[in-house]
Amino acid sequence: MTLFLTALIAGLAVGSVYGLIALSYTVVFNSTAIFNVAQGDLMMAGVLVSYFCLDRWHLPQILTLVVILAVVVAISLLEERVAVRPFVSKPVVGLGWFIATLAFSLVIETVASIIYGQNPVVPIPGAFGSGTIVVAGVHVATKFILAFVTMIVVMVALEVFYKRSWLGTAMRGVAEDREVAALRGIDALRISRLAFVIAGVVTGLAAFVVAPIVSADVTVGLTYGLKGFIALAAGGFGSLRGCVIGGLLLGVAEQMFDLYISSNYEILAGLIVVLIVLAVRPSGLFGTRAVREV
Amino acid sequence: MNDHLIGRLGLDSRAWLRWAVPLVLIIVLYIVPQIGGSDSFRMGEYEEILSFLVIAVALNIAMGYGGQYILGITAVFAVGAYGAILAAKYHPHGVGLVAMCIIGGVVGAVGGMIIGLPALRVGGFYLALVSLFAALAIPTVAQQWGLVGADTGIPLYAVSGFAPEINGEELYIIVVSLVLLATLFSWALVHSRVGHRFVALHTSQQLASSIGIRAYRTQLLAILISSVMAGIAGGIYVYSQQFFAPGSSSVQFAVLLLAGMTIGGMGTIIGPLIGSVIILGINQFFTSFQQYNGIAFGILLLLFAVFLPNGLMARITVLSERLGIRPRAPSLTSGPSASPADTATEPTAATAATAVTAVTATAAVRPAAQLPDWPPVLGAGDSSPLVVDGARRTFGGVTAVDDMHLTITRGQIHGLIGSNGSGKTTLLNLISRFYSLDAGQIMIGSTRLDNQPPHAVARAGIARTFQSPKLMLRETALENVIPAVELRVRCTGPESVLRLPRGIRVNRQARDEALEILEQLGLRHVINQQAAALPHGTRRMVEMARAIALRPSFVLLDEPAAGLSPVELEMVANVCQNLARSGVGVLLIEHNVPMVLSIADTVTCLHQGKRLFQGTPAELRADTSVASVFLGIDEPLEASS
Repeated sequence: MTLFLTALIAGLAVGSVYGLIALSYTVVFNSTAIFNVAQGDLMMAGVLVSYFCLDRWHLPQILTLVVILAVVVAISLLEERVAVRPFVSKPVVGLGWFIATLAFSLVIETVASIIYGQNPVVPIPGAFGSGTIVVAGVHVATKFILAFVTMIVVMVALEVFYKRSWLGTAMRGVAEDREVAALRGIDALRISRLAFVIAGVVTGLAAFVVAPIVSADVTVGLTYGLKGFIALAAGGFGSLRGCVIGGLLLGVAEQMFDLYISSNYEILAGLIVVLIVLAVRPSGLFGTRAVREV
Repeated sequence: MNDHLIGRLGLDSRAWLRWAVPLVLIIVLYIVPQIGGSDSFRMGEYEEILSFLVIAVALNIAMGYGGQYILGITAVFAVGAYGAILAAKYHPHGVGLVAMCIIGGVVGAVGGMIIGLPALRVGGFYLALVSLFAALAIPTVAQQWGLVGADTGIPLYAVSGFAPEINGEELYIIVVSLVLLATLFSWALVHSRVGHRFVALHTSQQLASSIGIRAYRTQLLAILISSVMAGIAGGIYVYSQQFFAPGSSSVQFAVLLLAGMTIGGMGTIIGPLIGSVIILGINQFFTSFQQYNGIAFGILLLLFAVFLPNGLMARITVLSERLGIRPRAPSLTSGPSASPADTATEPTAATAATAVTAVTATAAVRPAAQLPDWPPVLGAGDSSPLVVDGARRTFGGVTAVDDMHLTITRGQIHGLIGSNGSGKTTLLNLISRFYSLDAGQIMIGSTRLDNQPPHAVARAGIARTFQSPKLMLRETALENVIPAVELRVRCTGPESVLRLPRGIRVNRQARDEALEILEQLGLRHVINQQAAALPHGTRRMVEMARAIALRPSFVLLDEPAAGLSPVELEMVANVCQNLARSGVGVLLIEHNVPMVLSIADTVTCLHQGKRLFQGTPAELRADTSVASVFLGIDEPLEASS
């Protein structure tokens, strides 16, 4: 039972990482109709920054968070400029944007591994140290709790932003119909930039809380990016709640696979989850809209 | 050598380079070992790249032509390779190159279907991401799995009893030949009815289903063909390298492959080969920079995706046109002057008869009486009318179409008028099954259409055009019409691809009939022009030719006259009348009320999703309700005009 609970909690924590990436995908997709493949590598760039700040330079945690946010938002904006805007300003034909964002993620990953060099992967200290809290008789690491809470807070904040604010409505409207949005005085390019800023903040936050969990392995950006996609597909495209549920589902499924089947083949859990979801309920658990014809 | 031959080979101009350059490249390909060294290590490297080229050809079929982004095709390659190498490991004496290719192809097909079947239910980039995840998962799983040698992989050369019958230069020549064979196959496929369907579907799912193409099945077929080829590539790889390990197909390899495809030019036959040779060659032979390759490739890929999405081949095409190596695509200003030469090279019974009118094509508006009959072929067995009975459709809170009753009789023109937003196009999309009904039914005789998929509606004999023309823009006018003919000419895919006797006959027949219909509509002068280069009015006419080419029992025309010149307008009216005379039921949605009233047998007027009026043109003119809604007067139309 303890084993089960431990696995469950680890699953929820790792699932929070996937959920956060899925949320940042959704922010970008909601206003640009583009799926930014580089999101996972953006997060790993943040983790790398975290490694330098905390492990090399011994900066305080709060300063580290600021640096991460600055760097990730900057890279996110750079990506928007070079890899996304060319496809936002003209009608989307084919999947050119997919190739462009994948190319950008390749550049981030290569640069990151050059910067990190041949150093062995080291753990990164968490914001609240390595302490644990006892929940239902199980010791839960504070880094796990922080990841989970961050994801929930980010989801609620985004939900309020989209539902309550004029800007949030405008951001959703642009992806629905760019021309109509333009007629109402909404500048699609500014909205697209704003979406990348928000997605950058979400990704930066994710990087900060995730760094102690994933350690400084900069080569796993694409892996996390793809798992974030699975969280999104399972939860349902376009739904913020879906991202959270999908992320947690995937995280827990992976840990259960580890516990009851085999920890060697953990990655198969993701593949099984996504194939089953697509076969049984293609639009995902909370999915409302179908992916557009391309 | 006579003059004719000199002309054919292009020796009188630079056109000979068009066949000479590929020929030289092929010869160079065969003698690479003589140039670059033929020690066994080098040979292994060449053969490795060659087997990757087969994957590139495979991916090009699915992605470049079929529009199916199965980026993680390296996963399929990997399972094919594992299948082949395991078979060889346990039966070292019985499994040779052919057996390995077959096993690889079969295992690859299964792998491709496991990814494709679920992912295609959503479509778009889902397939790309799910397949990439598979490309990531398979090596990761293999690393831990004892059966496939875990991290170290399976060294086939260490298996006692395994002695490849083919090796050295002989093997190299066979592998090069397999690559050329795969390329030739992809050419034959693309220029067959199967390839035509891929391109139509890639352009637009609605366009494809309007000419009866089954979307899901066709997408799956594209993935299946690619997967079989990628699996065969796995077999070739394993036979030539005698080794396979998780590192042989990483997810980074999938990205490299994509880079090669994009840089060379997806959707062209040799572009992906050129691009892959560049990228994989750099990656293989410049290993000292490998750390930085990712940056270079990433930036290169990004630049191409943004600035040159059609890759190097697009540049090469333009360049060779400029140098006179390739015939220039006829421009619009050259007009009909290009056509006499074409008629001379492709004489058919039909073209010979109409050649005279075709030369003066721009002015060729033929009265309806001079157009030949287009008797229905699809759905011709049932002469019942097309009946819309109580149709309703709401979008959110808006009722776009409500309680709609409409009968389209064979041999008559039914005009549908109404202001913008009155539900005309929605009604048409309901009949085409692009939308589903909320209430009511749509029938031909006793056959219900409203529970069938869109392609089945087209196959039941209902053709349509679109409000903004949907054409395959990279294809010529002729190539846009051919797939519609192919729907009703019986022939299996393999016969068409492999050019079996019936395939050859039917391929030619489809081409001839498409040509004939375009000529009848006065489009002789544009047949070889890319649709992208055609003016709006001509695009409409090409779309109409495509609808007629189905030889349907019913034609639904969505504002065919919008934006047309007076000459073209007359042509449209003539075509409608001729369709009716041939026994086709025509539904004509139009804002050009005088035109509708002059040719329609029945007119329905929609207002805010409801039927305001239905009757003959004469009754409409006498009716006050239509006039009051549209003109705000209480007199019949007749009196006000």
